[in-house]
Amino acid sequence: MAALVRLSSVCHRGVSPLLFRSSSLIRPLAVQKKDRDCPYLITAKIHATPSNYAGSGSKAASLHWTGERILSVVLLGLAPVAYYYPVPAVDYTLAAALTLHGHWGLGQVLTDYVHGDFKIKMANAGLFLLSTVTFAGLCYFNYHDVGICKAVALLWSK
Amino acid sequence: MLLMTVARQGLCLSRSQFGVLYRHAVPMGTTAKEEMNKFWAKNTQLNRPVSPHVSIYKWSIPMMMSISHRGTGVALSSGISAFALAALVLPESYPYYLDLIHSMTFGPQFLAFSKFALAFPVAYHTFNGIRHLAWDLGKGFKIPEVYRSGYIVIALTVLTSIGLAAM
Repeated sequence: MAALVRLSSVCHRGVSPLLFRSSSLIRPLAVQKKDRDCPYLITAKIHATPSNYAGSGSKAASLHWTGERILSVVLLGLAPVAYYYPVPAVDYTLAAALTLHGHWGLGQVLTDYVHGDFKIKMANAGLFLLSTVTFAGLCYFNYHDVGICKAVALLWSK
Repeated sequence: MLLMTVARQGLCLSRSQFGVLYRHAVPMGTTAKEEMNKFWAKNTQLNRPVSPHVSIYKWSIPMMMSISHRGTGVALSSGISAFALAALVLPESYPYYLDLIHSMTFGPQFLAFSKFALAFPVAYHTFNGIRHLAWDLGKGFKIPEVYRSGYIVIALTVLTSIGLAAM
């Protein structure tokens, strides 16, 4: 119905908006008036879903999105597990989940605010470096020091 | 006539006598990402000013909660990275530094406040994160629901932070 509203706002000639019928998959992005009188010739350019076209699209972005949500749920579940079972396996899982969740989250922030091919590349490279160092540091802490679970417990004990 | 047009469904390329023609639906040759990059490149190159948006639009609770979710996320991530970096760089062990901090503390209120200050962003980001996951499932988009879930997140955050600070 949004397409109908859009058309009626453009066409002031009293053409009834109910006459415009379209598939729910296609939305006209631009309306051009061919001449001052009806009929209007409408040429629409659309972003079609790649599933109809062999090899012209990839599911990478969609899978990434799903991966982000699954990781969020995993991290949510890890919290009570870390509280009741503060063991090394949980320490390392927490290190991985926290780092990856932060990496993907900061990646979205960069995507929103950084523009320009070179800047995007540099920002993402910097982020990758940061996340690598973060994970390395957390694993080092887990191995050589008390570990994440114990660290939180100690911090809260005083 | 009204009923007739409303009843019809599906992709329509009709050349009805009412004069509205829908001729072409062509897929674009560029990806959305390419389109966005082209937009930015062209407009920065032309040195076009950006219209005021955040500075003039009236701030609402959902807006503030959204940017707070991002803010707490960035802050927590930075904190974790700083902690990891410190673990790699500092010579002594964690209990040593913890005792060092405790020997410098200015009283129990300071400790309670620090716990609250640490717990608050974690609690907020967690509860608002659950709210986000509900949206990802398609639930709770009606405006009253958005506000209601927002207030619940804020209440839970405050209560949880106080509870954790008291532990």
